[in-house]
Amino acid sequence: MNDRWDASAEAGSLPGAQGSVLSGTAAAATGAFARPVVKKRVAAHGTHRKDHPLVRDSLAVIRQDRTCHVVAEDYSYKSEAYYTILSREQAGEAIRPSSRDVLDAFVVPVCLERAKRAGIPVADWGISQAYVPLPAILYGINYFATATDYAVVRDSDQSKDVIKHITNKGKYPFCYQKIDDSATISTCTAVFGKTTENCGEIAGYAEKLYSLFSIPLVNMVFVQNGDSRALSSLAPTRYTRLSPGERAFLAAYRDHQVFL
Amino acid sequence: MSRLGIFVDRKTLSNAEQLTALIHCRDVAEAMGHNAEFLFPVDINKIPKMDALFIRARTDPKNITYVAARMAEFHGIPVIDDANSIQVCGDKINMYSHLIKKNVALPGTVFLQKTDLTVEKVTGLFDKLGAPLILKEPSTSFSQRVEKVSDIAEFFRVARRFSRMSDRIVVQQFVESKYDWRVGVLNGKLLYACKYTIPSVTFKIQASVNGHIVYCGVESMPESAVPPHVVQLGIDAARAIGTGLYGVDIKNNNGDACVIEVNDNPSLESGEDACYPQIYEQIIGHLFAAA
Repeated sequence: MNDRWDASAEAGSLPGAQGSVLSGTAAAATGAFARPVVKKRVAAHGTHRKDHPLVRDSLAVIRQDRTCHVVAEDYSYKSEAYYTILSREQAGEAIRPSSRDVLDAFVVPVCLERAKRAGIPVADWGISQAYVPLPAILYGINYFATATDYAVVRDSDQSKDVIKHITNKGKYPFCYQKIDDSATISTCTAVFGKTTENCGEIAGYAEKLYSLFSIPLVNMVFVQNGDSRALSSLAPTRYTRLSPGERAFLAAYRDHQVFL
Repeated sequence: MSRLGIFVDRKTLSNAEQLTALIHCRDVAEAMGHNAEFLFPVDINKIPKMDALFIRARTDPKNITYVAARMAEFHGIPVIDDANSIQVCGDKINMYSHLIKKNVALPGTVFLQKTDLTVEKVTGLFDKLGAPLILKEPSTSFSQRVEKVSDIAEFFRVARRFSRMSDRIVVQQFVESKYDWRVGVLNGKLLYACKYTIPSVTFKIQASVNGHIVYCGVESMPESAVPPHVVQLGIDAARAIGTGLYGVDIKNNNGDACVIEVNDNPSLESGEDACYPQIYEQIIGHLFAAA
């Protein structure tokens, strides 16, 4: 068993990183997928593994048995965390979450379809180019959109402005979720499928969602209509938004005080 | 009677050539005894009712085509392009990594992180790969965000701009040529081949020059006119990605062929199929064979 908590990313894990020159043939032959880990930021800050400050944009790779868990604030497409996952997948390592999981989790309709198939109640959704039934929650679906940015629209003037923004003036379609007038939106952060804050019944879905997507740090967004709850989306979360309890929980995983 | 969904968007249909090609595709499907219908993003919930799905819109892992591909896969419906192909081909870091792993010949290729953007490292790149260099933002398509740089200052100017869109960027050796081979591959077999003639005013197959879009010339070529090692390289590159439909761009200078990129959702509307009139029959046949 071996674990590691580096503020630096897996620099150099993909072929060609660190400025090395590779041709197609040379790369595989020289084992370019397994380069040494760079620990620049750890050294620069003089931090110790056990008091890692959760620096912005830092990521960690925690190894438990034969599986590596990548912990990051941001798993978005083309981020350092995403490329760290890709490089380990290409090297044939067991890695969680997978690159497919992080893509699926943050493209809202795909996330909801996967969650629904796993028995998790999800909000009804549709795709539109312009019209939307009100009130509704709206998410962009395009290269620039993130699941973090959602809008609740309750009247047509507001919806026109939001739709114009999230579709880049009608260029892209968007995802809508019709909600009841009395519906409320609640969010809760899950750390390795566990919640520490008072998340009520939402907490019960954290473990299922972790089983499904294996994302260590995620913000769950739920729609509540009366007594029923439905998943609206999953979104990344910033370290700075973690409560002291959540940070302590994350540290416990890092130090294997909590079994993964 | 089987149902073929052809997934399109507004932009696909705004181009007369693409529209003509799509209507041809639909006619071929119907002549083969299938029902074919165009599906727009708002029709995404109709995908489970289809027997096969053919995506003909610009693909990206974050746009609606990825949703369409995943919806098809969730319901066990054969789809071109599949989500894996969209994911791999949509990101040049991922795509080149697949090619490198399978020992497919490439120009000298380096991936840079933001922390690699130092004068020392960039100087080293020019020393090793020569000048000029090609910089690519990983999610480039249609030659957008592909730029040629001749010195360090230019390198930093372009690299910093690309780094705002991606945590890693691609640096490649420049390979000059008057044309690229485009080898179309379906399920690991040659589907078509053509030449893309590079406009004299640019080094890309498509570029904006003085505010005007300049397109490459397209010349469909029979298999017998394509060097066998180019065909084989195209097939090897496509197989390194998957079993779907790909367009592989190859430069072949003095018999020293190398892959420039592998495209999912390759263009079929610009005359690529002139020597291969059975393209759509083969694609549709492949989709329904898997159904």
